[in-house]
Amino acid sequence: MAPYANLPLSPAELSYLYSSLAQDPPIRPDGRSATQFRPLIAESNILPSANGSARICFIDGTEAVVGVKAEVEQTHENHLVAQNDTRDGERTGRPDPSSAGSWFEISIEIPGLRDDDALPVFLAAMLTEALLGDGELTLKLRINNRFHWRLYIDVLLLSQPLSYPLPLLSLTTHLSLLSTRLPALISEGDEDPLFSDDWEASTFLYTQPNSNAAGKLHQSKPPITLLVISAGENIIFDPSRDELAVAEAVVAISIRQNLLGHMEVVALRTIDAPSRLTASGVPRSLDATTGTNASVSNADAQALREEDEGQSVWRPPRGGINRAKLSQMMATATMENGIGQEVMGGLAGVQGS
Amino acid sequence: MQADRRRANAPAGGTAPPFFATIPRESLKRPTRTRKPDEHRKIFLRTGVVPSASGSAYYEVPPESDHTSDGLLIPSSSSLKITCTVHGPRPLPRNAQFSPNLLLTTNVKFAPFATRQRRGYVRDASERDLGVHLETALRGVVIADRWPKSACDVVITILEGEEDCFWGSAPQGSDASKGKAGGWGMMGVLAGCITVASAAIVDAGIDCVDLISGGVAAKTTSLGAATDGGALILLDPAPAEHDISAACVVGYLPSRDELTEIWMKGGVGGHSEALIDGAVRSATLASTVLAEAVKEAAQSRLGVSGGDDAANGALKGKDTAMTG
Amino acid sequence: MAITILAPAPAAPPPSQHHLEDVTSDDEDEGEAMDIDSLPSHRSTTVITPGEKITDDVQWMRGHGTYIAPIDEVTIRSTLAGTLQKTNKLLSVVPLRARYNPEIGDLVIGRVVEVQSRRWKVDVAAPLLANLPLSSINLPGGTLRRRTSVDELNIRSFFCEGELIVAEVQSLFQDGSASLHTRSLKYGKLRNGYFLSVIGQGGGAGVVRSKRQIFTLQTARRSGGELQITLGVNGYIWIAKHAEDAEMEKEVGINRLEEQASSAMYSSQNDDIGPDTRREIARVAGCIRALMQGGVKVDEETVRRAYDACVELDEVEGEVQYLGGERGDAIVEIVLRGS
Repeated sequence: MAPYANLPLSPAELSYLYSSLAQDPPIRPDGRSATQFRPLIAESNILPSANGSARICFIDGTEAVVGVKAEVEQTHENHLVAQNDTRDGERTGRPDPSSAGSWFEISIEIPGLRDDDALPVFLAAMLTEALLGDGELTLKLRINNRFHWRLYIDVLLLSQPLSYPLPLLSLTTHLSLLSTRLPALISEGDEDPLFSDDWEASTFLYTQPNSNAAGKLHQSKPPITLLVISAGENIIFDPSRDELAVAEAVVAISIRQNLLGHMEVVALRTIDAPSRLTASGVPRSLDATTGTNASVSNADAQALREEDEGQSVWRPPRGGINRAKLSQMMATATMENGIGQEVMGGLAGVQGS
Repeated sequence: MQADRRRANAPAGGTAPPFFATIPRESLKRPTRTRKPDEHRKIFLRTGVVPSASGSAYYEVPPESDHTSDGLLIPSSSSLKITCTVHGPRPLPRNAQFSPNLLLTTNVKFAPFATRQRRGYVRDASERDLGVHLETALRGVVIADRWPKSACDVVITILEGEEDCFWGSAPQGSDASKGKAGGWGMMGVLAGCITVASAAIVDAGIDCVDLISGGVAAKTTSLGAATDGGALILLDPAPAEHDISAACVVGYLPSRDELTEIWMKGGVGGHSEALIDGAVRSATLASTVLAEAVKEAAQSRLGVSGGDDAANGALKGKDTAMTG
Repeated sequence: MAITILAPAPAAPPPSQHHLEDVTSDDEDEGEAMDIDSLPSHRSTTVITPGEKITDDVQWMRGHGTYIAPIDEVTIRSTLAGTLQKTNKLLSVVPLRARYNPEIGDLVIGRVVEVQSRRWKVDVAAPLLANLPLSSINLPGGTLRRRTSVDELNIRSFFCEGELIVAEVQSLFQDGSASLHTRSLKYGKLRNGYFLSVIGQGGGAGVVRSKRQIFTLQTARRSGGELQITLGVNGYIWIAKHAEDAEMEKEVGINRLEEQASSAMYSSQNDDIGPDTRREIARVAGCIRALMQGGVKVDEETVRRAYDACVELDEVEGEVQYLGGERGDAIVEIVLRGS
């Protein structure tokens, strides 16, 4: 690892990268197509002491391990909800989503960053809200009216992040949740829960696709978060570090598969584009080093730069993303047989060790 | 979320919390929305409230109904009060690295008394998260390359935060019943933060490509009323009034029709675009107030510099508006 | 398919020494024994580890990567994992995966980290930052002139933070840090291309010092034109569109030429680059990345061979844009086969 990994790129590089990505079709520096992901190495069920686990390794060497641990916890006595529900004639109401947020805990460890840094906090918040989605995970965690499972999802990034680590962490979390198993419940009703100690009898938190014999209802799957950038008119998936550096807008889209087998968006966030911190280039007509133009005044130079609008040299992008492009991003990610389904399909095929 | 790991924390669950007698449910009246689904609550916005800062603004959204009449200790609805100060642009410290752009830092903090449960002085995860959101929203608007080698701090204090849901209907012992914000209320707070920070930045005289304003829209599951494709999309929801199933905040640039910040979460279903459009409409409503407030401040400043004669000042303001 | 997911594979066996030597160097011998007297005069291929006894014969002198144990004060032991090198009576250990240590005359690519009042600090992937004094660059305005205080004030208009330069190591300081110079028309700021680094990732073996670090590559596509590839000895690589010199040749006087060169020297404005050229640049970058992941040393020979292999595979097996994964392995295999 070079000692100055966070050094900005030069204006000439940025200009070249941006104009390549803005071509139709985009030319990415590693030759991928706009929707192609970098190949990755994945395995699940690697930690015997965890309820579920996974490891994903990108080809550039960044690697993440996720372990999921479950503990039984007493549910808060909530008279009000109970009263309400008995009146409605059913006691198995949905857990209140605001309290269910504390039923699982995601912690992210990134080497070289303190645990109260903005990045891990932001990443954890993003993964949490994707998982909370519409409260389906919390339904799965409910044991009976008095007890629930508490899930600890510990994400460990093993290497310094070379690019924005969100997709890696999200895919690894998805894979580990797919492999998560909870012991089978023996007790009935609201008595203190008792579990079978036979690991073979344990049930998957998210039902495995092959055990879905009926085939009618698709099983829901944990969400994944994809990183999408826009450059010119193009939208590009799974950006590398170089590509992120010239992105006009960076959006993290969390999608999940619902019970009907369709993809739907569960969370969306814009991420600060690193391109806004880059230095702008100097157009050749203004270059003070040529000697002839040394007399251009400051105000004139600024006016000329504004006129240039980043056409001939790099200028950090201004403004945001328009709604049409945002809709296009969401549509591409959630399309039938689109990116989202392909990525989830690929991850579902990962073999446990 | 994460505990403070650098201090010795008290053991979890060591003591039994006091348990207050439950108020009979029937006596609690949940506040109801009296405005239309596409109507925003009234906004109060004023710039230049802190003379020592280079720019400042104050933002308030009062509750729709007057809650003092119901005779309860805890008000059933909450209002939103935010102040923002901007310090800078000022030179970077000597030991800092060279930066070709203006370095913008945001600091969002709930006052300890902002919510019903007291907040600590150390910023917690949700406050940091708000700060990151706000920074993303503002970075796209400020023309940073006009201010090389300088820094600018945007400090926001939330004096009164919005609640996540109606406390009366929340299960006891849950976070929501204790009045701790962290869910839907945060979305409204972020929209307010974006609008107030925008006003303060303009007040500080920092170049912006547009006036950014924040807006929030929510999808509710409540039945009745006009529905938008099966679900009701509400602008500027007050969390106490609705059962929110999904919400979206945007930072919107009206003249460019662009978004620099989007934060959407919850069971959106197929309504993501309708939700974003709703948030944009809400932001457009806020931006009219914002533009008015900014103009008002500029005019009053011109009036002062032109002498005591108010008519003279107004005329001068008009002149500059025409030539500039 | 949008995504390729591979199963984890056990660590690949080290590429056989025989193949590597065929490709990377032709001056290595097949010395095996640790018997120092019979050692070839260059390098052995046996790997020694830190603390391992090399010799206790007093006739040898210790060099880099060795120390004399305090126990008997004669035994020379290794401090690095690597191969033994013998230069006359000097024994040194060459580490297997070394970081770049600047040497005088090296052509390096560096990134400006810091601008000081009279010099730039440049990251050249060495343990220490390199220096580029203002007095060691070609100042604009014609003939070689003295630097003035105006130049000092304008120092950021020559090179700014983050900018890439190609330079030569002029001298070394006592602490091993390098002092660079760009006093030649072939050095200076880099534009019109793409940067990649072959250090620190995968099992990369880095760039080899060779006779020529800058070469042009005729691309297979007609409209792709020529590419200029700069292999910095420090492992940084720049792949750019080859500059058309035709325009410059038309200029009349020799002084005009100087003027022309300097006007482009500090510009950060790229020329027009066609989409085919961009695609070829991406392809060469992909080839180099594949070489790096395959643990092959990068030099003109291997890059050319990898590029030819890539073009050939495209013809035989259909065109593939992304050169990671299987296609990359295939390219490396062809290069190693040395066909």
